[in-house]
Amino acid sequence: MLLRRCTQGLSLISLLLISCAVILDDMAILLAGCTLIMGILGQYLIFDHHFREIIASVEIQRSLDRNPVRKGTELQVSTNITFQGSPGMHVQIADLLPANTILLEGMTSVTTKPDPSSQAHQWSYRIIPIIHGTHHFSGISVTIRNLFFEENVQLTREGDRKPALSVLPTGSFASMASELSDGTKDSRKVSVWTGSDVHSLREYSAGDDLKHVDWKVSAKYDKFFIRKFTGLVSHPPLVIVDLPWCDAPYPEKEFNRMISEVTGMAKHTIQTYQYVSILLISGPNIIHLIREEKNIARCISELREWMHPAERLVHFYHMADRSDLRSKVRLSEYVLQQTTDSRARVFFENLHDRYVSILQYQRVPAFSGQVARTLSQLVMTEAYLFSLGYGDTSHIPQVVRQLQSLQIRVHNRIIDGTRPEKSVFRDYSAKTSEARS
Amino acid sequence: MNDLSQEYKFYIALVAGVIIATLLSGSPAGYLNFLLLFLVFGIMMITRTWHDRMFYLTCGSQPLVIACSVMNIWAGLFTVCMLAGMMCGELGLLESHRDFRFFALFCGSSFLIALLIQLSNHVLLPLLIFSCMAAIILGIQTVRMHQFRKHYSGA
Repeated sequence: MLLRRCTQGLSLISLLLISCAVILDDMAILLAGCTLIMGILGQYLIFDHHFREIIASVEIQRSLDRNPVRKGTELQVSTNITFQGSPGMHVQIADLLPANTILLEGMTSVTTKPDPSSQAHQWSYRIIPIIHGTHHFSGISVTIRNLFFEENVQLTREGDRKPALSVLPTGSFASMASELSDGTKDSRKVSVWTGSDVHSLREYSAGDDLKHVDWKVSAKYDKFFIRKFTGLVSHPPLVIVDLPWCDAPYPEKEFNRMISEVTGMAKHTIQTYQYVSILLISGPNIIHLIREEKNIARCISELREWMHPAERLVHFYHMADRSDLRSKVRLSEYVLQQTTDSRARVFFENLHDRYVSILQYQRVPAFSGQVARTLSQLVMTEAYLFSLGYGDTSHIPQVVRQLQSLQIRVHNRIIDGTRPEKSVFRDYSAKTSEARS
Repeated sequence: MNDLSQEYKFYIALVAGVIIATLLSGSPAGYLNFLLLFLVFGIMMITRTWHDRMFYLTCGSQPLVIACSVMNIWAGLFTVCMLAGMMCGELGLLESHRDFRFFALFCGSSFLIALLIQLSNHVLLPLLIFSCMAAIILGIQTVRMHQFRKHYSGA
């Protein structure tokens, strides 16, 4: 219980009056002093009564935007609090965060004005768990004050600490599927986030952490052996967006769907991997690169700024890919060897000559170099390519081939108007390999 | 506006009571009570918009309580009750039946203290009894608060 300034002053006056009454042996001063103290006591009893009423009515409900979460990633918490107010009572309610978490943004408390009606408040904030394990919220801190007193109580009952936040270590967060599909790969680099798997043992050397000693093996060989752990590292996928040409008609509905899909993916990637890189192209023109953006709001505002039909300074005019042309040359040569029909031979000879002449004069496009230079700045294991698949799409195989040469798995998301509920997966690499065979 | 009128009602009752008590007692220092009534009224007017008005009113009215108690302990008790009514009106603590019960409880307790003082010859005995009662109340409250905290901490 905290006496506020007003009560401190009144208590001082009453003590002075009682002291004077004792010194002067004056009943009148004693009456004044005693009634003043009784007034303060009465106020305390009233405050205590209201305090208990308010505390008994407090109910909290928290919801997490995802659970479990990976250590070090952002998590949004939404809190709903209801309580019965009381006249003359200011109530401050604070949500106590789980242990070992950092508040990233948002408010965790609310202060209300005196109001006797039932009150409901809602707020949300973002936290980052820094240690793995199961963490409960620490509870709620309720501070109630009026003109005379202030009291704080921490509600830490089981119901006030729900839900339990399950924080997974970085290594364990990897899914059980193949290593490449979820963007993780085994790393033996020294990291603070080590996984639980042991990849090798070596003899102890001075300075090694004794926590990592393998006692069983050490006992067997009668010398210290240190465990070397593997750690899983994960890289976010690269998002590539192929914007339509502003001077040509394009399906607006599908484009809007593509924008929402890209935005959702960017948000999800930041939440899961902490950052995202987005490459915006329009045909064989690189428009913009959003590189390793960590802030969701900033990423979305940048997408809003750039995601619209763009001017194309360079066009491919349905230019065939050089690898495809070589495959076609090989195919025509093969057919020429096999066939004996004179008309077919003439046709395939012409076709062969045409392909060879195109190959002779066709240079490697500047776009390929630009894409290669851009990709060299980024680290990734997979990429998502969003496109409307409308008009000239000859630049897409160029991008896909560049990515595949870097052993990056590519997912093509072609937004198709004929199937409004789903984006179509189109495999350009399969098409090219078919042509080759 | 309702609070203000409640406050004024108690003040008018206080003025009437003090005048009657002063005239009945025929005290030669009776004029002091009237001056102190003006002092209380002055503080009421000056501190109308102040946030901690209650504190200044309480401080400013203590001389009046002492002056009336010197004249007659029951006049002092009446002054205390009227001033308490003014304070409660100012704080908005006279709006429900429960508030009036609290006010009546305060007046009843003040009556018991006044009776104790009236029956005593010296300050020490009533002060000792009052201190013991206050200590018992605070002790009970401390235990209750401890149990309350224990319950809500999930222990």
